[in-house]
Amino acid sequence: MRKKLIATMMAAVMTAGLITGCGSDGGKTTSGGGSSSKGGNETITLKLFSNLPDRKNGQGLVEQKIIDEYMEANKNIKIEVEALDEEAYKTKFKAYAMDDMPDVVSIWGQPSFLDEVLAAGTLAELNESDYSDYKFVEGSLEGFKKNGSLYGLPRNTDIAVFYYNEKMFNDNGWTVPETYDDLLSLSDKINDAGITPVAMDGGDGWPMAIYLTDLAFRIEGPAVADKINEAVAKGDFTDEVFSDATSLLVKSAKAGLFQKGYDSQDYGTAMNLFTNGQAAMFYMGTWESSMATNEDIPKDIRENIRVFVMPSVSGGTAKNTDLAAWNGGGYAVSQGCQNKEEAIKFLNYMYQPDKLSKYGWENGVGLSAQDQTSYTTGNETELQKQIMSLLTNATSMSGTPINDCGPSAFKTVIESEIQNVSNGTTSIDDFLLTIGKSCQ
Amino acid sequence: MGSKIAGKKHSPAGKIIVWVVLSIMAVIQIFPLVWLVDFSLASSNEMFTSGLLVMPKKIQWGNYAKAFVDGHFLLYLKNSIIINGLAVLLVLIISIMAAFAVHRMRWKLSGFVKTLLLLGMMIPIHATLLPNYKLYNTLNITDTCWALLIPYVAFSLPQALYLMTGFLDSVPIELEEAAVMDGCGIYRIVFQVVIPLLKPSIATVSIMTFLNNWNEFMMARTYLSSPKWKTLPFSVLEFTGQYSSNYAVQFAVMALTAAPAVIVYIILNKHITKGVAMGAVKG
Repeated sequence: MRKKLIATMMAAVMTAGLITGCGSDGGKTTSGGGSSSKGGNETITLKLFSNLPDRKNGQGLVEQKIIDEYMEANKNIKIEVEALDEEAYKTKFKAYAMDDMPDVVSIWGQPSFLDEVLAAGTLAELNESDYSDYKFVEGSLEGFKKNGSLYGLPRNTDIAVFYYNEKMFNDNGWTVPETYDDLLSLSDKINDAGITPVAMDGGDGWPMAIYLTDLAFRIEGPAVADKINEAVAKGDFTDEVFSDATSLLVKSAKAGLFQKGYDSQDYGTAMNLFTNGQAAMFYMGTWESSMATNEDIPKDIRENIRVFVMPSVSGGTAKNTDLAAWNGGGYAVSQGCQNKEEAIKFLNYMYQPDKLSKYGWENGVGLSAQDQTSYTTGNETELQKQIMSLLTNATSMSGTPINDCGPSAFKTVIESEIQNVSNGTTSIDDFLLTIGKSCQ
Repeated sequence: MGSKIAGKKHSPAGKIIVWVVLSIMAVIQIFPLVWLVDFSLASSNEMFTSGLLVMPKKIQWGNYAKAFVDGHFLLYLKNSIIINGLAVLLVLIISIMAAFAVHRMRWKLSGFVKTLLLLGMMIPIHATLLPNYKLYNTLNITDTCWALLIPYVAFSLPQALYLMTGFLDSVPIELEEAAVMDGCGIYRIVFQVVIPLLKPSIATVSIMTFLNNWNEFMMARTYLSSPKWKTLPFSVLEFTGQYSSNYAVQFAVMALTAAPAVIVYIILNKHITKGVAMGAVKG
């Protein structure tokens, strides 16, 4: 009797689930059927997994524009975009890596991301000779290679710069600093005028890690990339260059170079300090060069934004034309996808020099990893021209910022620990020891 | 209501203290909503002024228009309502039946089954994300409403069961005995005798399940990929840039997302306070 009761109860629960579920299931199949019948039999659907959720502005707009053009030109191809912001993107990428990876994906040509992905064999190998006339900047493909094989293509060239307000500088008689000591004494003057010297996004960790890389690069010169890789491989950051660079960062923070509470303020807050005229400088990558055309920023500020690179450090070997620059984000095709050939075709289409590169230049979303000089129209903003000349005159590039040079655990640790060391919570030695440990 | 009862017992001074404390509580609770609406009507740049609230130079209704159109608000709202509605319904049916089965019916494993179901409370969502993704993919149900419905029901069930068993204690067993004497079957006992008496707890469980799942994003973003079943939290994402975001429109989206939840809460408010208090005494 009791058994019977349980059985009937269970049956009831199951049927209840079935009945309620059926309604939704019916809806699903009809909508699914609708979308598949639209395309006909020959339609090939490519899935693009992107880290650009905002499809109406900036890089996301450029990406969407190319997709729309491609679908217009190839009626039998349908491209479905799934976009998540970077953090969510990386989590979901792991899920996809187990099963069912979309055809074309956003990737980062940096060990912290790529090493694990390539070890899992997720990405398809590309034929490097196909890209000989795509005008990729020399060395920009290196980060996307493993054992000589190419697995992805870079989208941007990013340079870390100080944006500054030229009008504010001129009005106050301030000059662009030549050396790091100049920068610190300038910072005192700016502080005296009641203005924040440098707006810093310290809440996120990665901008300060770039700052640290930039300083280390000024001290050690182009050899710093090898030193970083060696230190990460050994888990040992006792080399002088790291302690020197860190102590410069700590010294600057202590001297009031950054805004009050920089270690807890995020990207938008820091940037708005600068665009509202509350800060004289803003340390960030060249992808923000679209500030010069952003209508939301007051006219007398946006038209006076200029850049300079990290000034030379006393005793340092780097020249002023050595840039803290790298090729970070890009695209790749997944190994297991069904339409690999079509996916690679689309990838190559995106990288035709007059697509990503040209549209990016026109939309002011920063520098691409391809030669953009042929797209200059003369109508560019002063800021764009200045950044372009920085790149054309560059004598060397620093390569990947330190936080992206190690495993993902190292990235997490250095990005949180750098806040503690900069505001004096931990000592420099402890900082270097902790980040070293996280590599092992 | 609370202040009235307190007022009767205490002197005028006590009454004032109660009022002050309650007012502070009210401000703390209501301020975020005011702040949300205020910022949703400003422009992105005005947000970074130093004041607590901003006085927008021009009220930006355009933020809401953008939220509606570019944020696919109506589609996501529909999905959210369907998925959450079904989740609440399933949780209610299963938890009432399960509560009755493990609490009132006598069988060998009733205690064990109850513990087993309650153990679910201790499993963190993060630990289940990737294994579940793999499972759903094998079953071919990623990117369908099942991919959300199943975990939403599963994760809400332990709490619901816990509350339901607590409430069930307050239902006199004599009523059920009387019902049996009059010839009721097991289903009539549950549906016609017990359920009407469980109304406050049904309200509590519905509201908790609804609110928890309404804002859920981590599972949604892992199990869904096409816009077909995306829920409201995805709307905020549409305005997230690579480095900085369109905060003002995101505020508008959040205000719109919060509205249904606030409305549901206001409607069921009376039941939930009563329900939680009763459950506390009897559970």
